[in-house]
Amino acid sequence: MVLPVEMTFLIDLLAFFGIYAIIALSLNLEFGYAGIPNFGKLLAVLGGAMFVGAIPGRVLAYLYGVMDNLDFIQYNPDIMGNVNKILSADIFSSAVILVASLILAALTGALLGVIASYPAIRLKEDYLAITLLAMAEILRTIGDNYSPLVGGTMGVDVVNPFKWVGGEYWILAATICILLTTALVFIYVESIGKSPLGRTLRAIRDDEAAAETYGKDVTKFRMKVLMVGSALAAVGGALASFYSGHMVSSAFDRVLYTFWPWVMVVIGGAANNLGVMLGVFVFVFLRKIIIFYKDVFNPYIPFDVNWLVYLLLGLALIIVLIYKPEGIIPEKPDKTLEQDRLKEIMKRIEAAPEE
Amino acid sequence: MIPPIFGRALVYASLLSMLSTGLTLTYMTTKVPNFAHANFATLGIYLTLVLSKVLHVNPYLGVGPAFLVGGVAALILYLLVLKPLLDRGANYIILMIATVAYDMILYSVINIIADSINRLYKISTKLFILQSFDFRIWGQPGLFLVAPAAAVLTVSALYLVLNKTKFGIAMRAAIENPSLASVVGINVNLTYAVSWFISGGLAGVAGALMPLRIMCNPDVGMRLIVSIFAASILGGLSSIYGAFIGGLLIGFAEILGTGYLSLAVGTWVVPYRPIIPLLMMAITLLFAPKGLTGIKWRIFRR
Repeated sequence: MVLPVEMTFLIDLLAFFGIYAIIALSLNLEFGYAGIPNFGKLLAVLGGAMFVGAIPGRVLAYLYGVMDNLDFIQYNPDIMGNVNKILSADIFSSAVILVASLILAALTGALLGVIASYPAIRLKEDYLAITLLAMAEILRTIGDNYSPLVGGTMGVDVVNPFKWVGGEYWILAATICILLTTALVFIYVESIGKSPLGRTLRAIRDDEAAAETYGKDVTKFRMKVLMVGSALAAVGGALASFYSGHMVSSAFDRVLYTFWPWVMVVIGGAANNLGVMLGVFVFVFLRKIIIFYKDVFNPYIPFDVNWLVYLLLGLALIIVLIYKPEGIIPEKPDKTLEQDRLKEIMKRIEAAPEE
Repeated sequence: MIPPIFGRALVYASLLSMLSTGLTLTYMTTKVPNFAHANFATLGIYLTLVLSKVLHVNPYLGVGPAFLVGGVAALILYLLVLKPLLDRGANYIILMIATVAYDMILYSVINIIADSINRLYKISTKLFILQSFDFRIWGQPGLFLVAPAAAVLTVSALYLVLNKTKFGIAMRAAIENPSLASVVGINVNLTYAVSWFISGGLAGVAGALMPLRIMCNPDVGMRLIVSIFAASILGGLSSIYGAFIGGLLIGFAEILGTGYLSLAVGTWVVPYRPIIPLLMMAITLLFAPKGLTGIKWRIFRR
């Protein structure tokens, strides 16, 4: 079963939309709501992707007994070929391994978020930003060089929990799974934004001292947000890993998984999840178009056309920051209770017997 | 004889201290960590490459133009990006994002330059080193003398300017208290712009000298920025002398640390070099967040 070309274009667009939406929404929670400048978004994304590359394959190979005392990295294509063949006949195990991997990847991301932010979480935001950026670079260095983890520069094949669908249609199933996860993440971050926690985060963002005066433990809230944000981003990374079928840490760099999400969030509209989704859609579409027409431009210019795009993206980001810092869809003021409901509560307070 | 590893460490530490001094200078004035700082140096690196491989002249002639190129790149960042944002009352997180965006622009420009030179002149612009273009003095590479001299010259010139000239004193006043400084007639904006120009210029010079001893690549700035921040944080981000010492410490620790560790446990440790500045930075942040200059040294003196 082979997919038509138009369909693969659309599927790829939707899959990357989903993956980037998850990552950008997590960044929006950290930056848009809580004001934490996470310049190390790559860290959690890579953490999630590495988890999916390193653990589920090993566990299944061990359970199915296809390891045969072979080195997991050296004989990776053979071992993973066998694992995926057995797994394709077993829908139940496929579902279990998918869900378990996503949950554990989220935990890995949360842990990385805590470790990376720990040295600077009590300091000013710029120290935190520098530390997170540096930590992300370190994880990449480890991923590139420590080959027992995810095969270093060669990478590893990833478990394919959609193989039971059959033929090339597994990629459609994977995309549907990504979009469902995106929908869940959207509902989750939206409900956080509307909850008392969301209001606390915005209070911390707008005036740290005032929030502290009202008894909010700023450090604790920041840590919590970075944990949740990193967990979500790790899910995004894990899904990217499942979708590509092969995990190599050099495919995850600061440009793709820190800079792009920042562009999406800031231009889309920080602290507004719908705006962020719009930003994600615009830039994923743009990226897809560029990849599609890349070969048309390349013979005429002596460099990779991607660099021109990155240059224009940087320029666009600066122009938006100067002239429209609230983004395409600005943050909405928080909805308070309705007038009637407020009056009712006032009445009840007045009617209450004084103590 | 100086062992080669010591020479390499001396060169790297000197160049790093020039970079962290410049970064700290702009942090002191504008209060924003400049994430684009390392790529000012990368511009200098490619200037040296063009001079020595395309124009076939002595790469040391590039020091002056590199100061200009780095300085202008920094001045553009300040005047066209940060100043308009400051005038609109943007907070420093927005300024930080703007420097990241500017870094992206510089990184793209550098890659475009590297690819174009490669395509047009058929010379390697990735993973190159220009050791053979260096002169020799007393049987040693000239850079072993030039790099430390440049670093010492930098910090002493800054000391003289900031303490002995009217403009430098005005600059320090503008750093201490911008509003009061402008009340007494100091052009705060001008002093800030000059600090950005000097900062970028120093980075450009450090970059221009770098390929004479260190392997360079278009993405060298991506890793260098971690070391520069580590050095600046170790120095406390509030004193250029602290940043100078921080740069020396981080530079020596990185090269000598990986060098001697690789002798002891094997060469596999070499790629993990960036972990050293990161660990030093994390320890500084945990135990002395104000850096070396923030520690009350008097309590150790009896």
